[in-house]
Amino acid sequence: MMKYAFFPGCVLEGASQEAYTATTKVAQALGIELVEIPGWTCCGGSHLQDYDKTAALAVNARNIALAEKMGLPVLTVCNTCTLMLREAKHELDNGAKELVNPALQQAGLEYTGTSPVAHFLWMLIKDYGLDKLKKKVKKPLKGMKVAGYYGCHILRPPHIMGFEDHANPHSLEDLIRALGAEPVPFDARLKCCGFHSVFTSKEDTMKATGTINLSALEGGADCTVTPCPLCQMQLDMYQPEGKRAVNAKDDIPALHLTQLIGLALGYTAEELGMKRHIVNTGILLAGR
Amino acid sequence: MRKITFKIHRFDGQKSWIQEYTLDHQPGKTILWALIQIKETLDPSLNFTASCRHAICGACAVRVNGQATLACETPLDKMLKRWESDTLILEPLQNFKLIRDLVVDWEPKAERLAELKPWLMPKDEFNKESGCRQSPEDFKKINKNSDCILCGCCASECNKLSGNNSDFLEPFVFAKAQRFVADSRDKNPVERLSAAINHGAWKCQHCQECVAKCPKGLSPAEDISNLRQEAIAKGLVEHSGVRHAKAFLDDIKKTGRLNEGMMAVKTDGLVKSIGNIPFALRLMSKGKLNPAHMFPKPIKEVAEVRAIILAVKESEKARNIAIAKRSEAHTNPDVQRPKEAAK
Ligand code: SF4
Ligand code: SF4
Ligand code: SF4
Ligand code: SF4
Ligand code: FES
Repeated sequence: MMKYAFFPGCVLEGASQEAYTATTKVAQALGIELVEIPGWTCCGGSHLQDYDKTAALAVNARNIALAEKMGLPVLTVCNTCTLMLREAKHELDNGAKELVNPALQQAGLEYTGTSPVAHFLWMLIKDYGLDKLKKKVKKPLKGMKVAGYYGCHILRPPHIMGFEDHANPHSLEDLIRALGAEPVPFDARLKCCGFHSVFTSKEDTMKATGTINLSALEGGADCTVTPCPLCQMQLDMYQPEGKRAVNAKDDIPALHLTQLIGLALGYTAEELGMKRHIVNTGILLAGR
Repeated sequence: MRKITFKIHRFDGQKSWIQEYTLDHQPGKTILWALIQIKETLDPSLNFTASCRHAICGACAVRVNGQATLACETPLDKMLKRWESDTLILEPLQNFKLIRDLVVDWEPKAERLAELKPWLMPKDEFNKESGCRQSPEDFKKINKNSDCILCGCCASECNKLSGNNSDFLEPFVFAKAQRFVADSRDKNPVERLSAAINHGAWKCQHCQECVAKCPKGLSPAEDISNLRQEAIAKGLVEHSGVRHAKAFLDDIKKTGRLNEGMMAVKTDGLVKSIGNIPFALRLMSKGKLNPAHMFPKPIKEVAEVRAIILAVKESEKARNIAIAKRSEAHTNPDVQRPKEAAK
C-alpha cells in the first residue's frame, strides 16, 4: 500500500474544506494511505519569506523533518505549499542544513533529506500510474470538456519544481483524459490567477481571474480544474468580481483536482463538497 | 524533405498580420538561424534584431509559441519537440512598444530603468588612494544580478506587467535595483528601496515567470522579495503588503496555522475590510468563512515552533557576523590581512 506523510495546508482546514474531503475520499478509493503530519504548520503561503526569509526556512525545515521522522515522503495538495516546502528543501540541501539542524535537534528533529516532496498530481502520475487509475474509474466523465488550469507554483520556478516542462506541461491534460473527460486548450492555461496579490493589487488580480475564466469558456470548457486550492478559491470565490473586470457574462464552475477525480471514481457532487462552491456546479453535473 | 513552417507576426507601423514562411528542416539549428534564413532567402523585408549570437547582447529575444526566449540560443529542434509540431509561431516580446515586426522599442524601458538609479553611488569613505574595495563575499551578493543582459524576456511574460504597467516596473528593473541595494560599496540603498516600493514592489504576483524565462539564471521575483525585506528592515513598513506578509509570521507564532478569517482585517484594517462585507457574506453563505474558525486553537507544538524560528535566526545572525568580520578584514586597509602580516 502506498503511504505518505500528508501536508494538507491551512486552506484545506478553512475555506477549502471540500478539497480536504475530496482528497481523503479519492485516496481511500485508490488505496493510498495519507497520514497527516502531526503538528505541521503553515508553510508561509509565498508571503512569509518577504517578511522573514529565515523564518520561512525554519518552519518548512521543521515540516519536512517531521515527515522524515515518520519515515514517509511528503504529499501536498496545494501548489504554493509544494513550492514553499521544495524551496526550503532546495536551500537545506545547498548549505542551510547546518544552520537549521542544531535548532531542530532541540526539538528532537533533524533534516537529513530523506523525504521527497511531491504534489498529489505528480504522485498519481509517477507513483500510482494513470493506467491503474483508469481501471478504477467507475463513471467516466464522457463528454465533459475540462480546462486544465495549472496555476504558477506547480510549474515555476522550474529549477525548484522541475516535474515537467514548464513551458508546455501535459500532466493535467493526461489526467483529465484518464478520467474519460476531454481536455480543452485555452489561451490562459499557464497564466497567473493573481491570488497572492489580491490585497496589494486588487484590480489587476480581478482582471487576471476574469481573463482565465473567460479564456476557459472561449475554449469551450464546461469547467476549470486546478491542482491548487488557492487558484480554485480565486477562480471560484472571486468569479463575480472577475467577470465584472473583463465584462464577461457567463459563469464557469471551478473544480479542485481531487473533486474531478472523485466524480470519475463514483462519488456524488454532494459527497465531494460541491455545495460549498460559489459558482453553481449543477450545470456541469446535470444528467450525470 | 521535412518542412518547418513559421507563422511570424508582422507589423509595418500601422497594420499587423501573420505571415507564413516555410523552410527545409535542418538539424542542429537555432531559431535565429531560421530568422536569418527567412530574411536572406525568402523575404528581405522581415525585421528582427540580433547581434552577438552568443546570448550576450540580449538583442534577439522573441516569443516562440507564446514564451519569450533568446532566438540565438534556442535550438529549433528543442522547440519542435516541445510543441510536438512542425509549425511555430514567432511574435515580438509582450509588454513592449512595437516598432516593426519582431523589433521592440527599448527607449521607454531605459527611462523606466533610470527610475531606480542603476549606477553605483560610492560611499564617501572611498577615495583615489584607498580605492573602492569589495570582499569576495560581498561580491557574491551582486555577482548573479550583474549577468543581466537586458533581453526583456522576463518583462514579456510578467503577469503583473501585462495586467497594468503604470504602477509596476519590469522585473529586470527590480533585479538591477537589488543589485545596487546589495552592493557593499553603495551609499544609497534607502533611496532605491523607497523608489522600488513606490513603483510597485509589493504588487508582484509571485507568478515566477520572470525566473522561468530568464536566460541568465537571474531570479527577479526573489530580488523583489529581498527588496521587500530590506525595505522593512529600513523601516518602510507602511504598506498593506507588509501587514499581509507579517500576518503569516504572527499566525504561525500564535497558533501554527493561518487565520484566513482575520486576514483581510489584519492586512487592510477594519475600516477598509468593511467594504468587503458582501464578499464575506458570499463566503459565509457557503460555509467557506466559518466564524467558529476565526479564533483557531493553537497546535500543541506551537512553543517548539517559536523556539525553532528563534534558534535558526540566532545561528544565522552568528554566521552573518562571522562573514562580516571576514570581509572587513578584506576591505579595511587598517586591518592587516594575514598574508601581509606574515611578511
Ligand atoms: S500555501 Fe497556504 S494553504 Fe498552503 S500551507 Fe501555505 S499558507 Fe497554508
Ligand atoms: S496566483 Fe494563482 S496561479 Fe499564480 S501562483 Fe498563486 S495560486 Fe498559483
Ligand atoms: S513574479 Fe512578479 S515580477 Fe516576476 S513575472 Fe511574476 S509578477 Fe512579474
Ligand atoms: S533579468 Fe534575465 S530575462 Fe530579465 S532582462 Fe535580465 S537577463 Fe533578460
Ligand atoms: S544575438 Fe545577442 S543575445 Fe542573442
